[in-house]
Amino acid sequence: MIREITIGQYYPGKSWLHKLDPRMKLILTLAVIVVIFICKNFFSLGVIALTAVLAAAVSKVPAKMILKSLKPIVIILVFTAVLNIFYTAGGDVYFEWWKIQITEKGVNTAIFTMVRIVSLVVISSLLTYTTTPTMLTDGLERILSPLKVFKIKVHTLAMMMTLALRFIPTLIEEIDRIMNAQKARGADLETGSIIQRAKALIPIFIPLMVSSFRRAYELAFAMTCRCYTGGDGRTRMKQMKLALRDFAALAAVVVITGGIIVLNHFFEAVL
Amino acid sequence: MTHAIEIKNLTHYYSKGTVQQVAAIDNVSLTIEKGELVGIIGHTGSGKSTLISHFNGLLKPDSGQVLVDGVDIHKDKETLRNTRFKVGLCFQYPEYQLFEETVFKDIAFGPKNMKLSDNEVKERVMKAAAFAGVKGEHLNKSPFDLSGGEKRRAAIAGVLAMEPQIVIFDEPAAGLDPKGRKDLVELIANYRRQTGSTVIIVSHSMEDIASMADRVIVMNNASVAMQGTVDEVYSRGDELRSMGLNVPEITEIFSRLRARGIDVPANIYTVADGVEAIKNLTSGRCSE
Repeated sequence: MIREITIGQYYPGKSWLHKLDPRMKLILTLAVIVVIFICKNFFSLGVIALTAVLAAAVSKVPAKMILKSLKPIVIILVFTAVLNIFYTAGGDVYFEWWKIQITEKGVNTAIFTMVRIVSLVVISSLLTYTTTPTMLTDGLERILSPLKVFKIKVHTLAMMMTLALRFIPTLIEEIDRIMNAQKARGADLETGSIIQRAKALIPIFIPLMVSSFRRAYELAFAMTCRCYTGGDGRTRMKQMKLALRDFAALAAVVVITGGIIVLNHFFEAVL
Repeated sequence: MTHAIEIKNLTHYYSKGTVQQVAAIDNVSLTIEKGELVGIIGHTGSGKSTLISHFNGLLKPDSGQVLVDGVDIHKDKETLRNTRFKVGLCFQYPEYQLFEETVFKDIAFGPKNMKLSDNEVKERVMKAAAFAGVKGEHLNKSPFDLSGGEKRRAAIAGVLAMEPQIVIFDEPAAGLDPKGRKDLVELIANYRRQTGSTVIIVSHSMEDIASMADRVIVMNNASVAMQGTVDEVYSRGDELRSMGLNVPEITEIFSRLRARGIDVPANIYTVADGVEAIKNLTSGRCSE
């Protein structure tokens, strides 16, 4: 059933990673992602993979959940691995048949790319597993706040994001309700050609639009009634403060980055 | 004779297979007879809405059976589809399902899905509009230009236009003013009188149910807690209260009158009955 889809994949917990300041977490995740792409050999990539595993262990998010985040990319993984194995040539030839050739370099590249993608996904999903969507947008707002200089309304953008996230479950429920109501009137959503199916969505889409606008107006009125005037002069209930652990995490990432640059320098590149 | 609806050992879980698995309906068996008007009451989360969504096959039971006219509705796709037309389900706030350009087209949505001829569709729309009290001049208007009450009527007409043998109303009067409520109760009673169809009403309003229902089913904690005539169920006020329900205000007033030693009947569930009882009492005094 539709209502079982979870949006945002926050996994409640009290781990060290959960407690990190969202701003720091965002910036560090971004930094690690960049570092993943400067890795040139298995040693530096190994450090990243180890970091990902360690971070996952620290977060106490069950391994099952982390594997679940990898599920959508299985096809991409297999596809890139196959392409790399068959289309990269160089080094010892392991296997040869007709025009197909599997070489050392091909296998290495395939493994390298796979580890790289998996680390990338694990690290970025750890961010969403350990940070609530609200915290994320709050953090983003603070990080982007210097853009105010360019007259960009950062607060408004962040508020829009928060509200959008807030309404996703509501709208899912609404779609479920409208779908049931139209099915009860004999709407056929499951059979027919693509065009027929697209047409069958009209009775669902229109009421959904109408009710979204209605909700938006109601919310706008409610916010206005509580004197909401935008971000200027607005204080926060939860102040974000960088703690010792945030600097520790920063230091860890700096050390890892340094290590990787050194490893890149001393060992031969794979790609 | 077969029952209009027969539910056998119906169980339905939410979030099945996860830690949060809960039985929304827990081994419920019940029957609804042809031509009957059944009221289903129960507080929020008692499983009423889940139960009625099984009546027309929107939900599939995790175990148990739903028989309409003696036939298992999940027997095959064809049966399921026909059940949707046989059992009309009018959801809470049905006006939120309106989508067409005109009220006429919207009411015609159900009959068109039944693949009826244009003439027959038109005939049904006119009939349903008349039943639901949709004004003729509204038929060519956009449904979004109508007032709240008019939208509700148009949406109800959309369900009635399929001419279902069984009509289910989920909280039909929710959000309406007292006059709208009264009109709606009359609409349903009138529809039933003229078509002889089976009607099921789900409601919080104990008084609306009391004024209409032949039989009352009380849902509590995913199962049927009581069923019987209005008298049988409403006389068990303490049990109802323990389930988060309340007897109608008028019943409460009369039981307090009795507590003060005033000789009035205990089985007063609607204001109309109350007025009668008071009249009887005073006329008795006058003749003394």
